Amino acid sequence: MSSDNSPVRNLVILGGSSHPRLTDAICANLNISPAEASLHKFKNGETSVTIVNSVRDKDVYIVQSGSGRVNDNLVELLILISACKTASAKKVTVVTPLFPYSRQPDIPYTKTGAPLVAAKANSLNTPSQFTFESVPGTPRSSGKCDTGVSLATAASNALKQSASVSSLGGVVRPAMAREDSWVPEAPVREINNGYKQWIAQSGTLIAQLLTCAGADHIITMDLHDPQFQGFFDIPVDNLYGKPILQNYITSYIPDYQDAVIVSPDAGGAKRATAIADGLGMAFALIHKERRKTKSFVNGQTRQIANTMLVGDVAGKVCLIVDDLLDTANTVTRAAKLLKDQGAIKVYAIITHGVFSGEAIERIKASAIDKIVTTNSTPQIEHLKSLGSKLEVLDVARIFAEAIRRIHNGESVSMLFDYFTI
Amino acid sequence: MSNNSIKLLAGDIHRSLAELVAERLGIPLSKVGIVRDSNRETSITIGESVRDEDVYIITQVGSGEVNDRILELLIMINACKTASARRITVVLPNFPYARQDRKDKSRAPITAKLMANMLETAGCYHVITMDLHASQIQGFFDVPVDNLYAEPSVVNYIKHNIDYKNAIIVSPDAGGAKRAAALADRLDLNFALIHKERARANEVSRMVLVGDVSNKICILVDDMADTCGTLAKAAETLLNDGKAQSVIAIVTHGILSGKACEIINNSKLDRVVCTNTVPLEDKMNNCPKLHQLDVSGVLAESIRRLHNGESVSYLFRNAPL
Repeated sequence: MSSDNSPVRNLVILGGSSHPRLTDAICANLNISPAEASLHKFKNGETSVTIVNSVRDKDVYIVQSGSGRVNDNLVELLILISACKTASAKKVTVVTPLFPYSRQPDIPYTKTGAPLVAAKANSLNTPSQFTFESVPGTPRSSGKCDTGVSLATAASNALKQSASVSSLGGVVRPAMAREDSWVPEAPVREINNGYKQWIAQSGTLIAQLLTCAGADHIITMDLHDPQFQGFFDIPVDNLYGKPILQNYITSYIPDYQDAVIVSPDAGGAKRATAIADGLGMAFALIHKERRKTKSFVNGQTRQIANTMLVGDVAGKVCLIVDDLLDTANTVTRAAKLLKDQGAIKVYAIITHGVFSGEAIERIKASAIDKIVTTNSTPQIEHLKSLGSKLEVLDVARIFAEAIRRIHNGESVSMLFDYFTI
Repeated sequence: MSNNSIKLLAGDIHRSLAELVAERLGIPLSKVGIVRDSNRETSITIGESVRDEDVYIITQVGSGEVNDRILELLIMINACKTASARRITVVLPNFPYARQDRKDKSRAPITAKLMANMLETAGCYHVITMDLHASQIQGFFDVPVDNLYAEPSVVNYIKHNIDYKNAIIVSPDAGGAKRAAALADRLDLNFALIHKERARANEVSRMVLVGDVSNKICILVDDMADTCGTLAKAAETLLNDGKAQSVIAIVTHGILSGKACEIINNSKLDRVVCTNTVPLEDKMNNCPKLHQLDVSGVLAESIRRLHNGESVSYLFRNAPL
């Protein structure tokens, strides 16, 4: 293909190996064909990239989603960017519908936007790992400090002690004696129990890596943390899946005005209320309380997750709205709660359907009647296994339009609000 | 423990080298928790305080999940940086993507440069590596790079394990001639060279032997053995064309990807000696010809010297036992 003959001048669209279908769909919308790149892996596992078409002085858009083998795809993306840069591309824009490492599911408090401080404060002050309400407390005495998960043996006592040392002293020096009391077999689990001190926050790192590889512009969709944009020194266009989702709701959900928009957790409340307000619908919120409580029976601690529903859903159709479906744990639990509370039908409307781990099985067994997601990540396999339970909306047009506008120097903000299919 | 002490960190996969280094330094490895989430992202927890410490992250990158190891390393560096480590040194004996060090064709990436940039971006202040495929890669970094040599360890190995008076050093390609010649000089041995014409990457076409190797023990020296096709063909050339007595290969980085073990087993090589810069444990089992040469002493000593602000150049000529 020669992009010189294409309707859009000097525009080159390159697809990574994560989501070739989306690349093709975006190109079809722009009426150009994707540039050729040979992507493969050397026998030793290193990624090899060669761009076949010239990109000299071109405006290059690289489409790569943060799905599948995330690390491989990320490195491939970085190498692609760098290859375009060294091949004298004028501008390299990364189109990553699902931003990799935008969320670390282990750590709910990343949502605060001040991750490491929060992580540190949490482990220093409160023994439990997951609370939305972690109040900055004073260091506790060692007797009160619990590591959270029960470990039966003396090792757990040692662990508790060391954890409490950490909560008192802050900075811990590893004395050799304590070294011995660690159980060497399962380091990961141990650390999950007591030491939540230095949790790597990959967000800034990924942003820096992309910039360092040579990215000039990022286009993404429904970032888990909108603050993520601030991690970059280059412009980030965060497109919204909201218009497409709204469009689906108004077109395909009968009597949607009577339905209720539900946010499955407090973090997504803003996103859900935005849709509810936009469509004039009722809103409900599921509040998840994850607290460690000490059981009086055997003195062990146990995580008791209380889920409460705020709002009335009895006899209504419920639409759970979220940005990311990963293990589907949150959504399936929410669906069950909604059905228990008398909801007639439960839809899950989610921008990025990753469906990792046992998500598919979990959804099949769940109370969810229908999942609506977008093709920001490959959905072919999920469609095969979920069948009519899954509805996939197309985001290629939004991205194509964004690319066209950015390439032509037009405003993108119109895409934030109005987008009709 | 004194203030600003050494902290040794390693990932949970391929810890053998890190453990050896830790043992030599008498410092336990710090606790690092790596969780591979179901969505295939990696989340890392540093289990100890590293505030104001001198952190060394030891990473072995072999064949296979190279990109996963790289991301783990980058995240670990970044975690230490944000956790206020005083200095972060990456010990990366086998530098990944070292062979993609130049723009050899149009629009090919210089991935080694990208790796250098990314390590720096993540927050690494110093790099210790070994036998870089091209020593010019040091120039890709703005931070200091200590490129150690396996040569002293190899010299020790040859002196103790091979009847080296009757040996000859052979370079399997023109690119490695300098390295092989240096080793030959160290041991006061003769030197031969195999010139090969390479059609495509990972493929070898024709080999021409330069030098007399008849009735000698040939020691093939290279910095890297990937599929081992070159080594196997070189051994054949040496035995058939050169009438050599036997052939031993000594390589620094035994990446041994693909069917390398099979190729070695079926080849005429007496043994293949690789250093432990690359994890070999699983391959040693199905490849009896494979021998491992421990370089943890050099790495441990370089860490000690670096930490204490001593010169590292002694290690370029001498290997600690």
